[in-house]
Amino acid sequence: MLMPRKVKHRKQHRGRLTGDAKGGTEVSFGDFGIQALEPGWITARQIEAARVAMTRHIKRGGKVWIRLFPDKPITAKPAETRMGSGKGNPEKWVAVVKPGRIMFELSFHDPEIARAAMERAIQKLPIKARFVRREEAF
Amino acid sequence: MDAKLTVEPRTETGSGPARRMRADGRVPAVVYGMGSESRAITVEWSALRKALTTEAGINALIDLEIDGEVNLAIVKDLQRHAIRRNVLHVDFQLIDRNAPITIEVPIVLTGTAPKVDAFKGMIDQLRHTLTVEALPGNFPKQLEADVSDLEIGTTVKVGDIPLPDGVSSAVDDAEVVAQGSATRSTILLQNEMKKQASGGSKGDGDDDTDDAATDDEDA
Repeated sequence: MLMPRKVKHRKQHRGRLTGDAKGGTEVSFGDFGIQALEPGWITARQIEAARVAMTRHIKRGGKVWIRLFPDKPITAKPAETRMGSGKGNPEKWVAVVKPGRIMFELSFHDPEIARAAMERAIQKLPIKARFVRREEAF
Repeated sequence: MDAKLTVEPRTETGSGPARRMRADGRVPAVVYGMGSESRAITVEWSALRKALTTEAGINALIDLEIDGEVNLAIVKDLQRHAIRRNVLHVDFQLIDRNAPITIEVPIVLTGTAPKVDAFKGMIDQLRHTLTVEALPGNFPKQLEADVSDLEIGTTVKVGDIPLPDGVSSAVDDAEVVAQGSATRSTILLQNEMKKQASGGSKGDGDDDTDDAATDDEDA
């Protein structure tokens, strides 16, 4: 699973998820993409699940680009613990996603299979997302 | 031949007035070039769409009429909303009909690559546009790169793309446009062929275990 090799600070604030994505809103590498339509946190596990779903559907042909990186640590307290005593322990890594962001890209010769593969990957994500194509004309 | 577009100068700038203009069906824009000062303008959305949905596409030549003065222009940049994809802002560049201009032309791959398909490989297009120089009205709508002879490990380069007469490109001829790439299916196929060649009869047809073993390696 994706995670930073080392970080400056082990724990982060949660932050706010307002507005749309400022960059990464165009399909830049492949021919097709998955675009986020809602803000949210995508965990490293979800990214991996989406990638596996996609690559299995295209039967390991084609090429996949992951345009997210889960660099935000999320902490959690153990179950049945009394409140207080400071912030919990880092439990998972997430990527912060805002609407418009292209999260995955795919290059594959058959558009129908590519679409089906990406629809499967979308099912693994916790936010609404859509299949998009590279824009070449007006 | 050129599309005609009547635009109005605008004095109000900033996000608030721009938002109101879009709500009224107008797109904020800016026009510059040929040594003139940059001017803020607005253009009717329906007229803009009509001008840019011709045969020439986004690189259409436009007769831009501002305050009764007609100038030749092209669309230099077009900003779209990330999700709704509506046009938010347009940059027009004034051009001289007799001077060559530099524009980006899309590259389209043509043909199939049987030698790549035979090994379950893929055609990886690394360059989707080419910067070309040509006189206005002389530039092509798209350039075609033939991938019929492509094999795994070989490339189609910028120099292989035929350019129409009067069109030149400053991009290095050795720059790669597309390459035949091996996928994980290719590697599996090659391994299988090696096994068959060596006469090994290990029957491992289990696809699931195969997936688990190979999915860890990123494509």
